[in-house]
Amino acid sequence: MDADGFIQTTDLTKVYFSGPAQVVALHGVSLSLGRGRFLGVAGASGSGKSTLMNLLGGLDTPSSGSIHLDGKLISDRSKAELALLRRHTVGMIFQSFNLVASYSALENVAFPLLFANVAKKERTRRAAELLHTVGLEGRDHHRPAQLSGGEQQRVAIARALVNRPAVLLADEPTGNLDSKTSEQIVQTLHDLKAEQGLTVVMISHEEALLREFADELICLQDGAVLSHEILRARP
Amino acid sequence: MRASDYLEHAWSNLWKKKLRTFLTTSGVVIGIGALVCMFAFGQGIQQNIRDQFEAMDLLNYINVSPRHGGAPTPADGDPDAQPRHTAPPPVSDPNQEVTVLDDAFIDEVLQIDGVEAAFPEMRFPAQVRLGDKEQFTLVQVVSSKGCGSGLIQLRAGAPYTSDEPNEVILSDTLLRRLGNTKSETAVGTEVEIRTITLDFSVASLMRMAFSRGDQRLPISDRRYSFKVVGVVERMGFGGALPIRSDVFIPPGAADRMRKLVLTGVSDLFQPAEKLAGYSTVTIRVASPAQVATVKAKLEERGLRTFALMDQLAEMRMGFVIMDMFLLAVGMIGITVASLGIVNTMVMSILERYREIGIMKAVGATDGDVQKIFLFESGMIGLLGGVFGLLLAKVVSFVINEVVNGFASGEGVPFIQYFSFPWWLCAGAVAFSILVSLIAGIYPTRRAARVDPVVALRHD
Repeated sequence: MDADGFIQTTDLTKVYFSGPAQVVALHGVSLSLGRGRFLGVAGASGSGKSTLMNLLGGLDTPSSGSIHLDGKLISDRSKAELALLRRHTVGMIFQSFNLVASYSALENVAFPLLFANVAKKERTRRAAELLHTVGLEGRDHHRPAQLSGGEQQRVAIARALVNRPAVLLADEPTGNLDSKTSEQIVQTLHDLKAEQGLTVVMISHEEALLREFADELICLQDGAVLSHEILRARP
Repeated sequence: MRASDYLEHAWSNLWKKKLRTFLTTSGVVIGIGALVCMFAFGQGIQQNIRDQFEAMDLLNYINVSPRHGGAPTPADGDPDAQPRHTAPPPVSDPNQEVTVLDDAFIDEVLQIDGVEAAFPEMRFPAQVRLGDKEQFTLVQVVSSKGCGSGLIQLRAGAPYTSDEPNEVILSDTLLRRLGNTKSETAVGTEVEIRTITLDFSVASLMRMAFSRGDQRLPISDRRYSFKVVGVVERMGFGGALPIRSDVFIPPGAADRMRKLVLTGVSDLFQPAEKLAGYSTVTIRVASPAQVATVKAKLEERGLRTFALMDQLAEMRMGFVIMDMFLLAVGMIGITVASLGIVNTMVMSILERYREIGIMKAVGATDGDVQKIFLFESGMIGLLGGVFGLLLAKVVSFVINEVVNGFASGEGVPFIQYFSFPWWLCAGAVAFSILVSLIAGIYPTRRAARVDPVVALRHD
C-alpha cells in the first residue's frame, strides 16, 4: 500500500437493507493508492467490487469508514458536492457502456461538459479530439447502436476523460467484450494512464488481464480484501 | 448548465418524441385556446360597452341633486306662486344645510377646475301640436347659453338668442311623428305646446264633483304658441347628456307657462323650501379622469351625485366576476392538459431512467436533473401557450365572421366580439408556462431523486 495515497480508504463498510435482511457488501476495506497508479480489483460476483467502485465515485455513501481523495475527505460530502467531484475529478466507465442511445458518439462524449458550463463550440472541439484519441475519428455522428461493443466502450472512455479527471474508475469495462477487444480497451486505459498521469481503478473478474496491465491488484471476497499484490513498483 | 443549453437540450429531447410532444402540447393548446377565447370574449364585451359609453360621450357627465331630493319647481306647479331661481328661506333645522341648485350654484360649479359646462335639468310633460297632429313628449328647458354651446347639434335653423322668447327647437324624430318628413321646412313654423296643470278653481271643483272618469281630477290644460327656430337630430340614446329630448325651450318662456312638474309622488309631500331650485344639474367635465375629483368636491357640499363612471366601476366588478367564471370554466381544460403534461413527463422519466443515472454519473446534480426536465415541461407550456393563443385568434376570427355574417342580415352593424389586449396574450403564454412548470414539479422531483446506482443498472 502507498503510504501517502492519492486514494485512501479506511475501514470502509457498506451495509444494504433488502427488506428485513441486512446485506454487508463491504466490510472494513482499507486501501491506499498512489497518484498515477493502476489498481486492479478482482473478485467473484457479489464480492463487493461494484460497491467499492460506487463509493469511490461518490455515487453511493459508506455506512462507516472514510474515503480520502488527494488528501480530502469525500465520504462525508453532500450529494451535490459528490456530483461536483464526479464532474471535475472522477471519470467513470461501466460494463454496459451506459451511453445515451439517442445521442451520437460526439454528443455522448460532450455530455459531461454540458454540466460543467462549457460553451457548445468548446464541447464539440474537445469531444472530437477525444474521439480521435481513442481511435474513433470519423465515427462522430454514429449512434451507439451503430457502433460495436468495443467502439461503444471507447466512446465511454472518451466521455470519462472529457472533463480531464484525475481518477478513472472502470467497472468491468471488458465484461461485454470479446477477449481481443478487452485487451485493446485495457491497453487504451493503460496508455492513457501513462500519457496523462491518470490514477486508474479497474474492476474485472478477469484476473489475468489485470495482472497484465495493473500496477497493483487486490482481490475481494465477501466484501473484504483477501489479498493485495504490488505487481509493478513505482518507477 | 447555461440557460441556452437547458433550452436546446429540452427542445432536442421533445423533438425526439415528436408524436408524444405533439399530443401533449395539443392538450395544452386546446386548454389555453379555450381559456383565451373565453377571456377574449369577456374582454370584447367590456370593450364594446366601454366604446359605446365613450362614443355616446356619457362618461364625462355628473348629475347633481340635493340630498333631500328636491324638485325644480313648487309642488303646485305654479311658477307664479314662487319664483323659479330664488333661494329658499332658511331651513328650520340648523344642522341640515341644503345647497340649492340655482343659477348661482351653476356659476359656482363652473369655477371648479375641470368643469366645462353645467346645465339645469328641467323637464315637464306636454302635448306638442303641429297642424292637426299632436304628440305627447317631455319638454326640456335649456338656456340660450347652453343651447349655443354646441351641445345641441342643429341640422337646420339656429339656437334661440335669449332666454325669453317663445321659441322652440324640435327634433327631427318628433317632426316626423308630427307628419313633417322634411324637417328643414319646419323652421319658422308655429307649434302649439299644451301643458297640464292643477286647477283648484270653483269651476274645476264643480266639474270634479259632478262628473265621472278623468273629469274627477282637478286638472286643466294651457296652450302656448311657439315658433320653431331650429331642428336637432336626435341621437340613439338621446344624444350627449344632458341634451336628450325632442323639445327644447328657453327658461324665460318656461317660467311663463303654467305646468305641472313632478319628479315623483314624494314631491307632493315635500315642504316648499326643499323644493326650491332645480331638481338636478348636469355637469360636464373635460375628461372622465376628472369625474372623481369634481364629484368629491360636490359631495363635500352635501350634494348627491351620480355619474355613469360609477356605473362603469360597478360593471367592472361584474366583469371581474364574469372573468372569474370564465376562468373557472377554462381551468377545466387547463387541468386536463396539465394532467397530460404530468403523464408525459412521468413517462419520459421512466424511459430515460438510465439516462438520468448517466447524467448523475458524469456530474449532474439533482438540481441539474430537475431543471432539465422542468425546462422540457416549460417548453411544452411555451409551445402550448403560443399555439393556444393562435388557436384562440383563429377560432375567434371564425366566430366573429359567422356571427357578424348572420347579424348583418338583420341590419346589426359589425361588432368585434373578441378583444385580445397585450396583457391577455402575454398572460396566456406566461400562464401556460406556469401551469406546465407546476405540472412538471412532481415528475421532475421524482427524476432528481433517482438513485444513480440503481438507474445505471436499469435495463
